[in-house]
Amino acid sequence: MSTDCQKTTAKAIPSTKRVTISDAEHMPHDYSTTPGGTLFSTTPGGTRIIYDRKFLLGCRSSPVAKTPPRGLPDIPGVTSPPSKDTNEKARKGESLNNNNVTSPVNNDTGDDAQFEMDI
Amino acid sequence: MNNKFDALKDDDSGDHDQDQGSPKDGEKEKTEDEDKEQSISKKKMVVPGAGEHPLQYNYSFWYSRRTPGRPASTQSYEQNIKQIGSFASVEQFWRFYSHMIRPGDLTGHSDFHLFKEGIKPMWEDDANKMGGKWIIRLRKGLASRCWENLILAMLGEQFMVGEEICGAVVSVRFQEDIISIWNKTASDQSTTARIRDTLRRVLNLPPNTIMEYKTHTDSIKAWEDFHGLVNASGGR
Repeated sequence: MSTDCQKTTAKAIPSTKRVTISDAEHMPHDYSTTPGGTLFSTTPGGTRIIYDRKFLLGCRSSPVAKTPPRGLPDIPGVTSPPSKDTNEKARKGESLNNNNVTSPVNNDTGDDAQFEMDI
Repeated sequence: MNNKFDALKDDDSGDHDQDQGSPKDGEKEKTEDEDKEQSISKKKMVVPGAGEHPLQYNYSFWYSRRTPGRPASTQSYEQNIKQIGSFASVEQFWRFYSHMIRPGDLTGHSDFHLFKEGIKPMWEDDANKMGGKWIIRLRKGLASRCWENLILAMLGEQFMVGEEICGAVVSVRFQEDIISIWNKTASDQSTTARIRDTLRRVLNLPPNTIMEYKTHTDSIKAWEDFHGLVNASGGR
């Protein structure tokens, strides 16, 4: 009830950017993306570490990601603990798979092709 | 005394977690305590390496398979599930993933589970007991790609539901494969709706894809009904 409160005047938020959306097509594909294309690293749950599919797939080719994990249990037919042969195979599979990678933003044809399916 | 959760389900419904029971009540406490100690020590061990990309959470890969030809009653959860390992960074994830078979190439009645470290891939875990899961049934040939897209979205925090995600499962069955994602609070409809919408987006599902949400309490009930074991041993 203090009179001080009355003195505070509202001001516009500086440098507001407005993006007009006229079509659903213009909506971003990610919850983390706003219509202008801005990426927010801060979400209602607090700051979170967000990676999109393309970025994660890109990390796959880094040498450190190819090192076999320590203590990988040997489950026949399920895990392939390091041996030259299986590593070769794994890499072949990876590169085959990575050829299909398309950007999440303009992946409409690519991902549709992946999912020509009746479930 | 026969505990219902010791038994494994014999049919092929594809509901992977019905294949897994918890250990007997007496053993359970002990196991959980041991696991708490283990996960504490693991948390200290699993950290992102220098120059690696940290993940929001640490995760663990698990694998389970129904062993054929043994009496169901002697098979416990512990006997059928193996922890493959934990990771804290994108690079550590790829190390495991690249040395594991793709789910589409698995044989028999088996599952891969990817859960946040410290959450067991079972209904009874504290993080799961009030929760549920979205289930998508896939015809054969799609599991590997759908699983990869699902777990990449989970690891990359694409679901935007705070702490709600517990883990993901791919279940390889006789005629179909099933992927599911588990969350903490089945009654939180805005969360489950958001998970559903994100699933549609990241898996690029056709609009007519059937997605089913199942609470874990319903899964437990169905399990008990199937086995006619409700209150048979004074249990749940």
